[in-house]
This record gives sequence, C-alpha cells and structure tokens, in this order.
Amino acid sequence: MSRTTPAGPAAGNGGITTWKGHMRSSRRSAAAAALLMAGALALAGCAKGGGGGPVASAGGTPVQAQENKAVSAITVGGAEESRGPAPAVPGSKRGGTVTMIDRDDFSHLDPGRVYVNYLSTVSLLFTRQLTGYRQENGRLTLVGDLATDTGTTTDGGRTWKFTLKEGLKWQDGTPITSADIRHSFERLYAPFITEGPTYVQQWLVEGDYRKAYEGPYDGMSLDAIKTPDDRTVVFTLTAPHPDFNFTVAMTGYGAVPKAQDTKERYDRKPFSSGPYKIASRVTDKSMELDRNPHWDPATDPIRNAFPDRWHMEFGVQAQNSTDRFLADSGADRTTMTFHNPLSPERVQEVVGDPSAMARSVRGLTPYTTFYNINTKRITDVKVRQAIIKAWPAKQIQLVHGGEANSGKIATTVLSPTVIGYEAFDLYGTLAKPTGDPEAAKALLKEAGQPNPTIVYAYNQTPTQEKVTVAIREALTKAGFKVVAKPLNAGTYYDAIGPVDNGFDVYWGGWAADWPTGSTAIQPLFDGRLIADNATNYSHLNVPEINAGIDAANAITDPVEAGKAWAALDRKIMEQAAVVPEYYRTYFGLYGSGLGGVEFDPMTGLQYPLNVYVK
Amino acid sequence: MVRFFLRRVAGAAMIMVIISVVTFVLFYAVPRDPARAFCGKICPPQNLALIRHNLGMDDPLFVQYWHWLAGVFTGRDLPQFGECAAPCLGYSFATREPVFSAILDRLPVTLSVTFGAAVVLLTFGVVTGMIAAWQQGRPLDKIASASSVIGASLQIYFVGPLLVFFAVDTLGLLPRPAYVPITEDPGRWFVHLLIPWLVLSIIFTANYTRMTRSVMIEQLAEDYVRTARAKGMSGRTVFLRFAWRGAMIPIVTIFGVDLATLLGGAIITEQTFTLHGIGELAVRAVQNTDLPMLLGVTLVGAFAIVTLTILVDVLYAVIDPRVRLR
Repeated sequence: MSRTTPAGPAAGNGGITTWKGHMRSSRRSAAAAALLMAGALALAGCAKGGGGGPVASAGGTPVQAQENKAVSAITVGGAEESRGPAPAVPGSKRGGTVTMIDRDDFSHLDPGRVYVNYLSTVSLLFTRQLTGYRQENGRLTLVGDLATDTGTTTDGGRTWKFTLKEGLKWQDGTPITSADIRHSFERLYAPFITEGPTYVQQWLVEGDYRKAYEGPYDGMSLDAIKTPDDRTVVFTLTAPHPDFNFTVAMTGYGAVPKAQDTKERYDRKPFSSGPYKIASRVTDKSMELDRNPHWDPATDPIRNAFPDRWHMEFGVQAQNSTDRFLADSGADRTTMTFHNPLSPERVQEVVGDPSAMARSVRGLTPYTTFYNINTKRITDVKVRQAIIKAWPAKQIQLVHGGEANSGKIATTVLSPTVIGYEAFDLYGTLAKPTGDPEAAKALLKEAGQPNPTIVYAYNQTPTQEKVTVAIREALTKAGFKVVAKPLNAGTYYDAIGPVDNGFDVYWGGWAADWPTGSTAIQPLFDGRLIADNATNYSHLNVPEINAGIDAANAITDPVEAGKAWAALDRKIMEQAAVVPEYYRTYFGLYGSGLGGVEFDPMTGLQYPLNVYVK
Repeated sequence: MVRFFLRRVAGAAMIMVIISVVTFVLFYAVPRDPARAFCGKICPPQNLALIRHNLGMDDPLFVQYWHWLAGVFTGRDLPQFGECAAPCLGYSFATREPVFSAILDRLPVTLSVTFGAAVVLLTFGVVTGMIAAWQQGRPLDKIASASSVIGASLQIYFVGPLLVFFAVDTLGLLPRPAYVPITEDPGRWFVHLLIPWLVLSIIFTANYTRMTRSVMIEQLAEDYVRTARAKGMSGRTVFLRFAWRGAMIPIVTIFGVDLATLLGGAIITEQTFTLHGIGELAVRAVQNTDLPMLLGVTLVGAFAIVTLTILVDVLYAVIDPRVRLR
C-alpha cells in the first residue's frame, strides 16, 4: 500500500506506507451543540492552531523551524453558510489547464472505497457528500454540501434528517435524488466494499453489519434509511451519534447514482456530482478531468472550479517533482501536486530561496507519529516512563533531516489539530530533547529493574538503521539492554499486528477521522478493542481510561468534550503507552503560473478547490 | 527446422510453468497478508475474513494455483474485482487493474525503449568497432577505444538526469523524455525517446565497439582473408563483404543475451525518466508484494528471454551456413 503515506519523513520511517496515515476529519462535539440549535447557529469550535504550545528549539536543527498553519477554528454552519457559490478567491481567473503530478495513481475512486487523504483530495473534484468542509482563509466550516444544511435531529442524534438542495444534477443531467443517497449508503454493505470507513454501516444495524445486510443489489433495502420524498433522507441510528453530520462529510459517504452504479467497476470510473468529470483515465499513468456542465455553482458552497481542465500524471517521484518545480519551466509552471512533498535533500535550498518559498505550501497535518510501548510486555509503568525519559527525540529528528522534513517533536497523544488539544510535556522532553539518562536510571532503580531488556522492532531501511543506532545509544546510557529486531518494510504491520508480537517498542502513526479526541484516542487506547491487527498497538487496557472514553464520547458541548479528551491524553501519557514522535508537517511546492494553491488542514495536503491559472 | 522449433517451444512452455509455480510458492513464503491492503484504516475482523474469501485466499495453495492457471485459459470471476476475461492473469493487488491489460498497455513503452536502444547501440557499436579495426593503431582507433572505456564506466542514473538537465532544461534542444505512442505520432515518439535511447545505449555501445574491434581484427588475420587478398581482392571488399560476416556470429550471440539485459536496464531507464513501462510495473510489484502483477511481469520477462534465445539460434543459421538446425 503505498501512497498512503502522507507528506514528510515517511521515508524516515522506512517508507512504511501506512494505511493508518490518513484521515478525513470532522468534528464530533461541535456537531452535537450545533444540532441542538437545529444546525442554524454557527458555533465556534476551539481548535487551537499553529502547533500550539512550545515547540522544539531550532538550535541544532539544520533548517529553521517554519511556520506551520493548523486549523485555527472549526465552526458548524447552517443553511446560510450551506448556500453556494463558494467563497470568492481574490485575483482568480477562469480557464486554462492545471497539471497535477504525483507519485501514485489514485488507488480508489469509488467513494465507498475511499478512506485515505490523498484519495479524498481528488474526490473533492467530482464527488459530493451530504455535508462537507468550506475553507476560507484557513477557517473551516462544516456546511451542507448536497444537503441544504448540516442536518437536523430532534432526539439527541438518533434520527437525522437531511434535505437535498434543489437543482442538483449528475454529470448526465439527471437529478440527484434521495433514492440515490439511500442507494449510496446501502451499497456500502456489498461484499466488494471493504476499504472505506465503517462507522455508518455499524450505526445503522444491530450486530455484525456484514451479516445483517448484504447490499441493495439483490433488491433488499435497509429499513434504517427512509426517503419520504425525492429530496428528503432520514437516517435512524441504533444509538445516538450527535456527530453523524460530521461522519457523513467523509468522502467514504459520497454520493453514487443508482442508475450508473457499476458495482466493482465503479471504482475505475465514478459518475460525477461535482464540478469536473473524468474524461479519460489510464491506470498508474494519467487522468484527465474536464468540466461537468451540469454542476451548478449556486448549489455548492465548497467548490470553486476555476480551471477548465485538470491533467494528472502519476509515477513522478518526489525528487523528480521537486526539481521540476524548482526549474519552473514550460508547462511545469502551471503544475501542482496534491501529495508529493519537497524531497528532503532540497529543503535547505528552498528555504534559502525566497522565490521558491513564495511558491511553497506548508502546514501542520493532522498526522501524528509515535513509538508504541507494548504495555502487555512492559507491565511496570516506571520502566515505560524511563523509556520516554531516555528517548533521543532530537537525535531522531536530526536523522530525519530536521523539523522541515519530519515535524515538530511531539509530547502528547493528541495533535494540535484536534479540538481541545492541550500542550503539556510530562517528561520534560522539550527541555532535554536529547534524553535524560540520569532521570531514566532513577526510575529504573525505583522499579527495581536497573537493566531491563527492550526488544525494539523497526523497518530495515538506511534511515531507520540510523534511528535505531540513536535509540540504542540513548537507552543503553540509561541502563537498558536493547535488542534491535529489523523487519521487512513490506511486512512491518503483519509482524507487529498480533497481540503476542514479541516486541516491546515499535513505530506507528495515526490521524483522527475527524478533529476531536474521539477518533484520535479511542482506536489507539481503548483496552476493549485489543485484538490481533487492531489499532491499539500498545495494548493499553486501563479501566479508568476506557470509562473516560465513553464519558467523553457522551459529552455534547464541544468545549467540555475537548477538555475531557485532553484530560485523557494526559492520563495516557502518565501511563507511558507511547513515546510521541512528531506532529507531522507538510512542505511542498507548485509552479509559478498558478494562484490559489493552499494547504488543506483536513488532509494535510495541497488543496485543489481554489487553484487558478494566472 | 520444424522439429527444432516444436522442441524449443515445448521447452519454453515448460519453463514458463516452472517459473510461475516457483514465483507462486515464493510469494507465500513471505509473511505478509495481502488482504490487509484491501481493508480500511480501522479494519473490523469480519471485513478481513470477507476479503480473504473474496481473494480466494481461504483455499489451499495448490487450489489457488490451479484457479490462477485455469483463469489464464478460461477467465475468472473474482468477487473483489469483478469479471476477468481470458487470458486472465488476475487483478493487481495494488492498482486493482487486470494484470494482462496492464502489461499489454505498457509493453509498447518497454519495447520502444529496448529496441530503440538496441538499434542505436548496434549501429554505433558495430560501426565504431569496425572503424577502430580498420584504423587499427591509428588516432581514430585510439579515440574509439578510449571513449568506449569511458562509456562503459557510466551509469544510467548519472548520465540520464545530466542529459535531461543540459538538453532539456538548459538548452531546450529536446523535449522531456516521455512516451508518445508510435501509432499516434511517429515523429514525437522518436524525439521524446531519443534521450532514453542514447542513455541506455551509451553503456552497451562501448562493449560492442570493443568486441567488434577485436573480432574484426581476428577475422582479418584469418586464412580466408589472406587468400582473398592474395587473389587480388581489394582490402575494402574483403572487409565489407567477408570479414564482417565472420565477426557477426559472436556479436549476435552476445546481443541475444544483452537484449535480456537491456530489458533489465529498462527498469532503471524507466525509473530515471518516469516512463511507464514493464520495468516500473516490476519494481512496484516487488515493493507492494503484488503477487498477480509479479507473476505476470515475471512471465512476460521469461517469455521475452526464451523467445529471444530461440530467435538467436535461428539467426545463426542465417548468418553461418555451417550451422544446421536439427
């Protein structure tokens, strides 16, 4: 699975292509509050941006820390904000062709099979959901996309009603109806849809959703979705989910026309509800988009569609694209990338070149990386804390080429892009970023294990070999005996997946599906979810934390929920279940002939919807 | 001749089956579960089980192989991907496209690069070698020999970007290397591939210069050349009508082997110039542990080499009347 790695030092982590790395976010508790006001009131979220809080000092880093924008505010819009057209972009012009070059082709285009951020980015151009995020000057608003508003509920989030806008059309001019929306959700139960998110599927039926329903293709339908008329869809969930309107903003819940559903083959060529349609596509090589004449900007509060055409080319490695952007010649002047980051060896050159910096896109992604500590094997919390104390965060960052290539050194589980994030540093990592062997020794003495053995599993790549040397040195200084176990990059997750994996410490990464603690914390630290290949890789199972997760999930006030998640973050760090590594950053370039190229804080990639040819 | 052909073709088919079995078995020795790649970020166990079933991974290994082999001739219906018409080599685990059409689609790129480069290197190599042999010991010989040593010590990934930088980015003499189908525009096909051809052939040309030179010199010292000369034939006639024929035999032998190497070299060339050929497919298949694609590419590679070997054997007979195929 390649490509799923987001920007930055994926290479640093051995190019593990992690399917975990991706996310689309939405926001749970704000939704709850908003829906209480029938979605009519905009409600300020309180995500603090800018990587909030202290960051690693730039001293010793090869490249100066750069400003990384995070989500500064997320609000929930009502009917007013959900009206088209999208916010104007100063200086924008209509027409021309934008070229997009990237390493990988899009592995999926069928909305039901889209989960990772890179696929969501391209889907913005031709797939619409019931709701979506409107970006304006770095501010995000959840708005109705196909729906007239962000949905209404009268029973605390169990029943959700969405009304479709008037004048919505598919690329063949036929109207988008409530039957299509119903079909879009029902088909997610078909056996061939396995790659997308599974939240809604599980919320609409009791028990194992695979057994409860097998999709609409044999004529069966789902009772939980009602379509009283052509423009109304009503969902009845098995339990209240006050954030349902954020969940359906995921590309995975995008609209698929009933009449054009080609099942398995839909993945090759989806039918457009957005401003562009797929004109041609050659797998792994290229894709051409041209305008969908039936898309009406007046119905769309999210999408600007300035270029007449998109020409996309795949198979371009980061080094190659970086050099092309730097050369900025010919057709490359109107070229951008969605994902390809700046190649590490060019960072220094770009930072020192104002004209290149003017064509750069930077920001803080929702993606965090960390080293899992297997709490099933290292049961003494003092020993786990000693690992964090002794950890060589700075040395590792240097191996990865400094902050510009990797990210800010992290000290928490939650990313600064999550609502409620609180900056704290329980183990003084930022004060002593190279590790504190003396303090670690003291903790090991208290634990009565002055020389514990640590089995560290890693991806065997040149970079990870260097990281391993740094870890071994630092931990040995504190008294640990380090046994390094190299793993093959292709089978890394298969090796660490079993609960009984035989390793003590191993790398991982995560991004929340929406920017609240819910999907950031629960999948990783809910002890009730421990299973082979499940996401709780540290196998942490603390009843107090499990209960805290349930409590936080039930809070409807976004500010209070944020506080609860931050408190849980602190508890998890007290348990020393992970050594946080980075809040990952994105740093990429584009051609000088383009305007409106922005950073997308939802995906951590470049944003296509405001781009225009100068 | 016919018996020779039939025997070789049967042998080739055997080799292909053996290679496919070995690749298949080797893949299963890798401790990796391809089903994981078809599951979402948060993957419920029932989805994983469903995917394994969809991919036929819950069958015994030999049953899976049999299904694959049968699919080549009769086609298959794969639940995860849909219908796959014969000859069905399965669907790529990574890109979800049919392996056979992916290979067919990319074959022209690799063939264009390989055969274009082969033409360039044979022409340049043999001509410079002949000149060197003709001019033996004189400045032209020295220059040809020296430049062949330099050429042989260069690498594609070094010369490639360098040439692109000068010829494309700086001087703007040539377009950026790309593949334009020859059926679409032969002219653009030619100019866009010129750099890859030159780069790929530089390394091999050197060998051919040196080889042609030494074989020609050897031939020129042969008795039949002396006889021809003694009979009053001019040096040029001897050189151009007789000696080269003798020299061609070892060159054709080596060329047959080198063509296979050239196909391998295409992997690096394609990576260097972002050309979407079989080489790129092979690299990705290995990176992604993409069994169906790996099998497909391996078989195509094996097929090419086996075919070329047979072809070279036939060529012997054409060049050298002493060889009779039995």
